[in-house]
Amino acid sequence: MKSDMSKIIISEEDFLKFREYFYRKTGINFETTKRYFVDKRLIERIEATDSGDFRSYFIMMRFQASGAELQLLTNLMTVNETYFLREDYQFDCLVNSILPELVKRKTDNRPIRIWCIPSSSGEEPYTIAMYLMERWPGIHQWDVEILSSDIDTGILNKARIGRYSARSVMHVPAPWLVKYFTRVGDEYQICQDLREAVEFTRVNLAEPTDTRGYRNFDIIFCRNLLIYFDDLSRKTAAEVFFDALIPGGFVCLGHAESMSRISSLYKVRKFPQAIVYQKSLESR
Amino acid sequence: MKRILIVDDAATVRMYHRNILESAGYSVDEAMNGIEAIEKALQEAFDLYIVDVNMPKLDGYGFLRELRGENISQVPAIMVSTEAAENDQTAAYRAGANGYLVKPVKPVQLLTHVRLLIGETI
Amino acid sequence: MAFIKKQAQPSTEQTQSTPETRDCQSLLKQLSSNDSTERRWAARDLVECPECANALMQRLKIETENSVREVILTTLTRMGDPVAIAGMVDCLRSEDAALRNEVVEAMKQLPLEVAPMMLGLLADPDPDVRIFAVNVLESLCHPEVESWLISVITYDAHVNVCATAVDLLGEVGTSNAIEPLEQLKARFNAEPYIQFAADLALRRINEI
Repeated sequence: MKSDMSKIIISEEDFLKFREYFYRKTGINFETTKRYFVDKRLIERIEATDSGDFRSYFIMMRFQASGAELQLLTNLMTVNETYFLREDYQFDCLVNSILPELVKRKTDNRPIRIWCIPSSSGEEPYTIAMYLMERWPGIHQWDVEILSSDIDTGILNKARIGRYSARSVMHVPAPWLVKYFTRVGDEYQICQDLREAVEFTRVNLAEPTDTRGYRNFDIIFCRNLLIYFDDLSRKTAAEVFFDALIPGGFVCLGHAESMSRISSLYKVRKFPQAIVYQKSLESR
Repeated sequence: MKRILIVDDAATVRMYHRNILESAGYSVDEAMNGIEAIEKALQEAFDLYIVDVNMPKLDGYGFLRELRGENISQVPAIMVSTEAAENDQTAAYRAGANGYLVKPVKPVQLLTHVRLLIGETI
Repeated sequence: MAFIKKQAQPSTEQTQSTPETRDCQSLLKQLSSNDSTERRWAARDLVECPECANALMQRLKIETENSVREVILTTLTRMGDPVAIAGMVDCLRSEDAALRNEVVEAMKQLPLEVAPMMLGLLADPDPDVRIFAVNVLESLCHPEVESWLISVITYDAHVNVCATAVDLLGEVGTSNAIEPLEQLKARFNAEPYIQFAADLALRRINEI
């Protein structure tokens, strides 16, 4: 045990005060059982910022105009690692609930359009493509367009190439791995068909000229991104999605995220697998 | 055990109501605005809602209208407000409230309304 | 495979909802269109036309479509100019509860711009406006926040204004707030909520 770690103490009231504030700001509500995890990270940041104690640190974070410390802490408190089939209950929701509902009320033959943002290195859009192939019979009747966007052109390039570590594919079922990947040394190369199934574009959600062209999507996946935005950017992003969706279209957020912190534009929809958000059918 | 959802954006108010209700033997969950409350109501059948009027994103009226209008739940709801005026009360009942309390709420007042609406004796 | 790609990048198909004329004058006209999508897009694009803040404010007061209201407020927040702020303060007195709550949220995004008006709002004759003002204080990164809150709990006669202020003092209060909190407890000794909230704030301040 490091001796300097034990000098800073987070009291019960400190923890509760922090928990309320963090909940209000991010929507993440820590159970008391997470106390150790939270305390440890708080102490880490108190030390790194030379704040001395919780009180000074909390005041600094709370009143910092840039919000940078809160952002840093949010990153620390949320483990954001991307891999294939991450939070797969949502893909189950996609193929078993969302898509069936969408095609049931479809009156045209327009392709179903899915927008996946952030693209990151491509695990999520490729997961969606595999899920549709393997778990959604409708793929034989309907055309699907998958568009995946990120602000970082470097990561988009990685996504286009589609080469992954063993760790990244660890949750991919063995038959899928055989079918859609080729082993290259220690790595896994995603197949050409899937690479062609996804289009990658660069977009900055805060830039109206960037986002104006994104229209007529049926489903938007935006998981674990908005949590890292400030309030106004988050709200702006929710409005961009609203404009990008068809009436009745859906937004899927990450498991720790809720539209309730962001915007009241959407209707909350409960499916057996997940809560998602819908632009009402009457909206245009 | 009867389950009650407290919907209020002020943490201290939620804690105050929680203390009163838990010491009277109720089980409690919290939401900090109307949308979060809708999310919770969709996932669990509560026996009663205690709803603040002024909240960000979706206020108490909006929450009740959606709760009733979308038939998510028809169990009793108590609206809690800083306004005592009659037209505020009328608006609350019209939105779907079954009880109305003016802040600051006294414990005995809260429990009386809760017990009556939940169908217990006082 | 049924996956397809559009060769052209994000759809360039322009529907009636993005008319080609996006200059400020046409946007203003579209802001009163009968079509809510057109109004929403106009409100979104008017962010480039700061001289239209007043027109947006006027529209906000009569706009019934929720999605248009949200976008108008986002645009006004991004503008953050004195006209927008003054309009928001005006809306705090609106009869429309939803609008008041939306405006409080927007004002929270503009701490620097709102700070100079705080003293006036905290002294407003309407207790509702004072409660909203305390709500806005929550997000204010201003050295005076604690002393403003202390002066509220010391002088404001309205119990719910004080209640809202105590709530926030539990989070930002220092030892300066201890005495005023004790006085508040004495002043409202028959209000269990005030006792509870003040005790909680005191506990949080006293615990080192």
